[in-house]
Amino acid sequence: MKNKILVAVLFGGIGMTNEPVIIKGTKEGITIVVEENSNFEDVKKVIYEKLQNSGNFFAGAKVFVKAKNGNLKEDEFNKLQEILTNFGMSLQEAQSPKTLIFPKPNRSRVLILKKTIRSGQKISYRGTVVILGDANPGSEIVATGDILVLGTLRGMAHAGAAGDTTAIVAAYRLRPTQLRIADVISRPPEDKEESPPFPEVARLKDNIIVIEPYNALK
Amino acid sequence: MGEVIVITSGKGGVGKTTTTANLGTGLALYGKKKVVMVDADIGLRNLDVVMGLENRIVYDLVDVANGMCRMKQALIKDKRFDNLYLMPAAQTKDKTAVTPEQMKKLCDDLKKDYDYILIDSPAGIERGFKNAIAGADKAIIVTTPEVSAVRDADRIVGLLEASGFEEPKLVINRLRPDMVKRGDMMDIDDMIDILAIELLGVVPEDEKIVVSTNRGEPAVADETSRAGKAYRNMVSRILGEDVPLMPMENFEPSFIDKLRMFFGLKVRTR
Repeated sequence: MKNKILVAVLFGGIGMTNEPVIIKGTKEGITIVVEENSNFEDVKKVIYEKLQNSGNFFAGAKVFVKAKNGNLKEDEFNKLQEILTNFGMSLQEAQSPKTLIFPKPNRSRVLILKKTIRSGQKISYRGTVVILGDANPGSEIVATGDILVLGTLRGMAHAGAAGDTTAIVAAYRLRPTQLRIADVISRPPEDKEESPPFPEVARLKDNIIVIEPYNALK
Repeated sequence: MGEVIVITSGKGGVGKTTTTANLGTGLALYGKKKVVMVDADIGLRNLDVVMGLENRIVYDLVDVANGMCRMKQALIKDKRFDNLYLMPAAQTKDKTAVTPEQMKKLCDDLKKDYDYILIDSPAGIERGFKNAIAGADKAIIVTTPEVSAVRDADRIVGLLEASGFEEPKLVINRLRPDMVKRGDMMDIDDMIDILAIELLGVVPEDEKIVVSTNRGEPAVADETSRAGKAYRNMVSRILGEDVPLMPMENFEPSFIDKLRMFFGLKVRTR
């Protein structure tokens, strides 16, 4: 629980590039990243202010320091240690930062919902969404991955919302008000033809959404 | 301890007030229960008119909620049926005149003295709706066989589920069996398929409803009204009886249906 709050509170700091120091919550504890070419006095000041503002929230936490331009000097390390100890935190050995790889949208993340998605309800998810139920007209499902509905899809579905053109929308009965895959939008034809009584899959082919019968053997 | 049931729909004009009046009257008349109907449509009150009690209003729901009068002073005893009471809404105020917390308290107080408390919800999903559901234990959703009404009902089911209501019941109002037969109107299965909730009853379109509403005499007490019959069946279902849906045809039941009825079997509605 504490970790969760930590990440949430500190999240705002991550995007700010002008700051000489970034404080992050990680699973090991707290990581202080010292940006390249930053003045150590500024660094010290910012860390002090940030900790002051957060009271004793971080007390007891393990802190790692990563300097982007190599290691901290010994006296700098000692000064930091002093500040952190005053706030009840312990400074672990300084490391130079590893290259952080920004995670790609993870298609293996799956949200499974066992319910009917009703008019006015919106499901937004970074990953794949599986609905064990219907998605009714007036509902919206937006996923960066695939959307699978094991009932009737009657609402709007947007798969690959972050631009993934390989995303699909599949439903036991596919009767959407509108389908979107990546940035392509389509709607069913106006003339009310009987929709087929079998499962179907919608995917992008040459930038057009095509709907095919679901074939388990393929 | 009584039960608080909110009657709601999302869309306006589908028959919430008519349903409230008829179920309330039916529960008092046939169920011999102590019933109070609460009009939560502050600013657009109707239930008093439908019940023919508008000229007896002195205090109203807003007065009770704000402690301006005692509960007993605002409750109006029905002119024909014993055990039936109305808590009228204020007409000169708006939905913000009471809070959901005040409504909850009012319902909890009424529960001590009455078996059934029926709350007539206003249309919409804003404050008035939130007030109406605040103190309710169960919900009845009224819809008509129209795509827009069903869509709104679906929205309401979603909101009720989010507020912790389990298994709201559905009333399909103003069904015209002849139009359904011709394929010009949604049928019961279409609606159940989308809403996926249990059906409490189906009320056929009936001119007598207009007459009874204007006269302030609920149709449920009219033995010759088909809509009245549908409401009586719903009352029985609320009281826990297992009553089959009545046949919806306006014409004579078929020979097979007659046979089925003779043996007390379920008669198909279409």
